[in-house]
Amino acid sequence: MSSSGEDRTKKWYDTSIKVAKEYGGKISVMPKVPVKGLRDFSIYYTPGVAGVSLEIAKNPNLSFELTWRWNAIAVLTDGTRVLGLGNVGPEAALPVMEGKALIFKYLGGVDAVPLPIRVKSKEEFIAVAKAIEPSFGGINLEDIESPKCFYLLDTLRKELNIPVWHDDQQGTAGAILAGLFNALKITGKSISDVKIVLFGAGASNIAAARILHAAGANYKNMILIDSKGPLHAEREDMDKLMLNNPWKYDLALKTNKERSKTVEEAMKGADVLISASTPGPNVIKKDWIKAMNKDAIVFALANPVPEIWPWEAKEAGARVVATGRSDFPNQINNSLIFPSVFRGALDVRARGISDEVIVAVAKEIAKYAEERGITEDYIIPTMEEWEVYPRAAAAAAVEIVKEGLARVTTTYNEELERARSIIAKSRASMEKLMKEGLIKELPAELMR
Amino acid sequence: MVKVRKAGEKDLENVVELVVRLKRLNSEFDPLLKVRDDVYVQVKNWVSGYLNNKGKLLLVAESDDGRIIGALVSEVRERLFYEPRMEGVIMDFYIMPEFRRRGIGKMMMDEAIKMLREMGAHVISAEFPAQNQISVAFYRKYGFRPMMNVYVKET
Repeated sequence: MSSSGEDRTKKWYDTSIKVAKEYGGKISVMPKVPVKGLRDFSIYYTPGVAGVSLEIAKNPNLSFELTWRWNAIAVLTDGTRVLGLGNVGPEAALPVMEGKALIFKYLGGVDAVPLPIRVKSKEEFIAVAKAIEPSFGGINLEDIESPKCFYLLDTLRKELNIPVWHDDQQGTAGAILAGLFNALKITGKSISDVKIVLFGAGASNIAAARILHAAGANYKNMILIDSKGPLHAEREDMDKLMLNNPWKYDLALKTNKERSKTVEEAMKGADVLISASTPGPNVIKKDWIKAMNKDAIVFALANPVPEIWPWEAKEAGARVVATGRSDFPNQINNSLIFPSVFRGALDVRARGISDEVIVAVAKEIAKYAEERGITEDYIIPTMEEWEVYPRAAAAAAVEIVKEGLARVTTTYNEELERARSIIAKSRASMEKLMKEGLIKELPAELMR
Repeated sequence: MVKVRKAGEKDLENVVELVVRLKRLNSEFDPLLKVRDDVYVQVKNWVSGYLNNKGKLLLVAESDDGRIIGALVSEVRERLFYEPRMEGVIMDFYIMPEFRRRGIGKMMMDEAIKMLREMGAHVISAEFPAQNQISVAFYRKYGFRPMMNVYVKET
């Protein structure tokens, strides 16, 4: 990063620290029932509430109807890989989880509870997640180191009866897919035919490979590249991967049919490059992009600096370029995905969120952009396009119902309306609180 | 179809490659199995002694396209104090990742047991790192059980 970039980052750090101190964190619990006097607590608390308890004791699924559970999720982390900071521990993860919870509330109307936990092993993590299941309608796993995150997600998806989601895997993969659908439309290519290079083999690209496959891409036409080069079935470290990262091992067996052994070989004739590796620039070389097929699609997703600057990728022949940044066109942003997916999942009291749900949501987001007219510089909606959230929520809900993963049924239009109204209400209450001065304006001197 | 056969001179390089992979795999299970820098040369010298040697058996698995995708190194040893007197020992056994879970391991082991018997062995054993649960499961599945323990400590 340039020194001016570092200065800017430092300025954001300072502001965030002051704001955190000023407000004492970012979220709080807000009642949703009227309280006009202490007598009302006979309804909300004892003796009345015992009646609600007895009903739920008879049928635990009623906890989704008679408590906040239907709209509540945990943002669960062990603090082992917080942002790009590494293993900073659960306490240091708390402000990040608070921020995530704020986004959940603001964009999805979801009551998200930040929950960093102190655990020593993955088994202990599983035990905690299982133990808190009765309190929540879903669990969002966050900022957990790889490959542990794969084990946790796979195990919890199997063993819990509420949706478990890991944004670094599914959220990012969903956003990539949404952008890719439209990039393929622009270039007139088909997902089942394209050669896809996934540069970086961390949580998001390993999940992306699986989600791309669920969307119709062929494993044989994909190549994953890590710090040692392209993965393939004969690579020297295969046994090590088998023991330490079976997810990566599995993909090494399924992908790279052409057995490319170098990055240069892999890039030759590729149609799509999805890079989720280390901050650039110059991590992706222009020559590699020059070796790609005509009308190449390049997603350079590292933050804060993409692996290659968009203009450089274009100079090298890329037709569609996306990054993770909001100040360039085509921001591949998982904030488009997770609030909506959980909105839809919670509204049908989902038992789980399958990969097909992610594909359906990505399609809907792509369709939304397409209806507005896609171009090389507009393949995916921006975060400010509010209508995309209820649309994506409706697509998620309908797919969850279709797959038999829902406790209650709904239709697309019904969920669209419900999601719109829940999200609008969430935003309206915040606006009202700000207007009344109960949430104070950010101090002007901090915003300079 | 994968063929299992005795290894010849022309297979040497390929067998060495596979045996080195196995030694590296062993390293994952115990720090005292860390491979030496000269492992490749060592393996080559050692494996050479198993070609055309009466008491030794070196088997390979060959794929349709002629690639060597599996290797098994074994020998017959005399048991000085116990009955039965002759023991066939499987020392190294490796199959390339993409050919695993297809029954090739069983094919190779069945062939090895058959040939070791022909060489006089009436008991078959296998040596592998104690922490290698994949091997434990494999041999247990085919009726093997643990007999001797080897305990280590650094001095």
